[in-house]
Amino acid sequence: MKRKSLLIAAAAAVAFWSGSAVAQSTIKIGVITDRTGNARFYAEPVLSGIRLAAKHINANGGLLGKKIELVIEDDGNKPDVSASKAQKLIDAGVVAIISNSSSTSSQQAQNTTIKTLTPHVTHNGSDSLTRKLKHSCFFQIGPLGSIQIKTLMSYARAKNYKRVALVTDNSALGQIIAKFFKIFLIKSGVKVVVEQVIPAGSKSALPQMQKVRAAKPEAIFQAGILSREMVLFFRAYHQLGLKQQILGSFNLSIPSYLRTAKGLMEGVAFIDAYDPRKPEVQAFIKVYTKEHGKKPYSLPAYGYDDLGVLVQAIKRAGSTDKVKVCAALKATHKWVGVLAAKGTSYSFAKGRAGYPVEGAVVRLIKNNDHGPVVHSGTK
Amino acid sequence: MGAAIRWGGAALIMCVVPFLLPLYEMDVYRKMLFWVALAISYNFLFGIAGQMALSHFAFAGIGAYTVVILMTQAGVPLLLAIPLALGLAGILAFIVSFAATRLEGFYLALATLAFAQLFIVILDEGGALTGGTGGLTSYKLPLVFGFEIQGPWLAIAMALVLLLTLAFLLRIDRSWYGRACRAIRDNGEAAAAMGVDVKRTKIMAFTLTSVMAAGAGMVYAFFDNTVNPPVFGLENAFMLLFMVIIGGSGSHLGAIVGAVLLRLLQDMLEPFVGQFHVMGLGILMVVVILVQPKGLVGIWDDLVGRKRAGRRKAKP
Amino acid sequence: MADLLELLVSATASGCVYGLIALAYLLVLRPTGVINFASGEWAMMGAYAAYVISDAGGLPPILAIPAAALVLAIIGWLTEWLTVRPLVERGAGHLAPILALLGMLVIYHQVVLLSFSEDQYPLDGPFGFGRIEFGLLAGSYQDFFIVGATIAIFIGFWLFFERTVWGRSFEAVAINRRAAALMGINLRMVTALSFAGAAAIAATAGVLDSPRGSVEANMSLPLAVQGFSALIIGGINRVEGALLGGIVLAFAEDLTRRYAPIPSGLALGVTPVLLITFLLVLPNGILRAKEAK
Repeated sequence: MKRKSLLIAAAAAVAFWSGSAVAQSTIKIGVITDRTGNARFYAEPVLSGIRLAAKHINANGGLLGKKIELVIEDDGNKPDVSASKAQKLIDAGVVAIISNSSSTSSQQAQNTTIKTLTPHVTHNGSDSLTRKLKHSCFFQIGPLGSIQIKTLMSYARAKNYKRVALVTDNSALGQIIAKFFKIFLIKSGVKVVVEQVIPAGSKSALPQMQKVRAAKPEAIFQAGILSREMVLFFRAYHQLGLKQQILGSFNLSIPSYLRTAKGLMEGVAFIDAYDPRKPEVQAFIKVYTKEHGKKPYSLPAYGYDDLGVLVQAIKRAGSTDKVKVCAALKATHKWVGVLAAKGTSYSFAKGRAGYPVEGAVVRLIKNNDHGPVVHSGTK
Repeated sequence: MGAAIRWGGAALIMCVVPFLLPLYEMDVYRKMLFWVALAISYNFLFGIAGQMALSHFAFAGIGAYTVVILMTQAGVPLLLAIPLALGLAGILAFIVSFAATRLEGFYLALATLAFAQLFIVILDEGGALTGGTGGLTSYKLPLVFGFEIQGPWLAIAMALVLLLTLAFLLRIDRSWYGRACRAIRDNGEAAAAMGVDVKRTKIMAFTLTSVMAAGAGMVYAFFDNTVNPPVFGLENAFMLLFMVIIGGSGSHLGAIVGAVLLRLLQDMLEPFVGQFHVMGLGILMVVVILVQPKGLVGIWDDLVGRKRAGRRKAKP
Repeated sequence: MADLLELLVSATASGCVYGLIALAYLLVLRPTGVINFASGEWAMMGAYAAYVISDAGGLPPILAIPAAALVLAIIGWLTEWLTVRPLVERGAGHLAPILALLGMLVIYHQVVLLSFSEDQYPLDGPFGFGRIEFGLLAGSYQDFFIVGATIAIFIGFWLFFERTVWGRSFEAVAINRRAAALMGINLRMVTALSFAGAAAIAATAGVLDSPRGSVEANMSLPLAVQGFSALIIGGINRVEGALLGGIVLAFAEDLTRRYAPIPSGLALGVTPVLLITFLLVLPNGILRAKEAK
């Protein structure tokens, strides 16, 4: 008897679910976000941007005469859960999916969306996201690692660096950004004289920064993304009396650094995808401030553009048919969003990463705040 | 005869179910089977043999990574890659198991936790071999007679691994060997005095269950056709421990119940309570340990037992 | 040479933080035989408490340390009362409290995640972060402050255990619970106090460490791992072992990162390798003490 019940239980690692059958009076857009995992502090502001875009579009007549309905799933930034959640969203009848947790998770979710060729977009910036799989309906909207480094190098061209240091952390994204930084630095004839990793959970970055100091670089490129470890980096930099220019990725545009590394980042150059001089940014700031009562930084704008790119494609497709939406996404050309520098636009004509090559800007930290744009593009 | 029918029936149900489920549910189902398979073998290691090891998920990862690396980078055919990967896991487990013979209780937990950590460090730093922090991706199982093994077919493969694991462990649990394991768990010195070869029994339990974990990991590697370090990290190793304890450690049924329950809890609660479901896991753990150390299965036995006792009293 | 000394100052400060976490493990482990993996969470919660106290409460950083320690002492005492005492009284084995505390670890972590909206917060040290030099020894104010505070705490505990009747009764419980009870020592009180004390020490470690980086929920797991590694390296029989273990661990980590010709990501393997080595090669002191119970 006991054995039988055991077998039944084993067999019935089966559970009963009910699929949702809702009349298609809305256009469903799926969002895979992180509310419980280690990417949630980036994912939540971006999600607020996605919600804001949906609200704004719905208030202005909607999409194809229907309202946009966001179907939001939490993957806790666990890659395998992300893939399952993508399937859940597809089953729920979403027209397209926005991945908003991390590059590793969107990579794994692609393995699900590729099977049904569901339109899938993300602002995650790893160059390899569109290279590992031939997923013809996966599109990348954010600034790639390679664009970031090209922009930084173009900013620093006048300085004519020959020997630089490259510092990152051991997170997946930090490693990927560092890889593209390195490839491009070598390509442009710059020697990376020292490479250091500040692993998560370190108590100090002193050993690594001593090595950097000993190698006598002319500048320090910073590709890390872990917040606590980056503070360690800035502390060690000051403690060791280093004076070299620090050039950082988009990650340093996250506003919380201004509090935790207060006063330690003066003069640091960082990549932003957000140019406050642009009219679209001004309009976005207005809408956001009205909704939330405070000025936004760039993170919510990533989400705003994620949905923006999808919506303009669906509009042009004139339907929610996946094949047509894919084709329309692919045909996206010269679409101007909130992100990207003045005078540049998104386009998927040359590949599935649509962020304009000339679209990233360099800003400096000034008076412990994001200063004005000092450089734009890669030329 | 009856046993054969029951096992066949169970296998049949588990293999038919994935074809009936919509895709998302099918995916949840097969990932749940993965957890159940791991929970069953972990329960033998922790609940029956009394070894609090935290390396079980690492061995699943060793199986997954090895088979993928052998196939995609060394060009080894699948049928050869499987035994090679199992063999490698077996050798590594055999080496690590010596820790189990020397350390007890949470000291073993610490040593195996360090091993699991080391595994992640090696994955992260493995360069092109392991794909680094991003892991390996965009590989595929070879076609079998022109047929692509995917989706529900992988659920079947996992169901078979699970049933094999369960059948094998049930069998040895009832044998002299299973009794030796339990005796060592309850009192190592007494077991030794009764003539049990403590060292050998421990090494066997650790190696065997770790290889089983590697087997489950191998199938898992082809679910999404990608493997990456976070899946095999410490978080999931602890999750497995929670599953076995909440279900009822030492009981095969308990391991199954715990794994199914915690996986379902995540999927069903999350839409309603958001991230509170993770806290629910902690609360469940504390409550189970305080109320009934034998877990949910123990609570069930209590209820049924009381009822039966009540009936017996009422009858005469 | 200057580099090495500079590195050693910083590594000593890191080692002191590890040592304090190891002490938090030790305070619970000695009298109860329970290893409390939630020690890292206590450190993290202490850091958050200090942040709230100094940010919202406006207390100066030097007072925020004892205040945070007090808050965590209460949490530690409550934890013991809610989850450990019922198990001890029921006569459950050593494993049950360890597992119950693992459950508490999850609860603590989630409570913090749910209560704070940002991923990281700044925490100031009492003397800021400027650079200070004592002859050849150079480091930040915070590093020297960490070392000073830790030494004071360890001397305090050493005196307590060696020189006071109360401390002796803790040792008696650690050596033999049943005999200690027969001698009239209040086991309940000793256990409750060791949890409260451990939580306060862990909190102090978190508060001392945070100004070097930031206050962040993710800081707990590395601290928990480094803390028990330090404990095992130093040995669990003596209070000063915790500090020694912490400093050995921090030196090994930082010297490997600085001088070993391996990628610095791989240097992360130092801690697990050391832990495994000590557990397997130098287990004598460790395991013999365990059998003595």
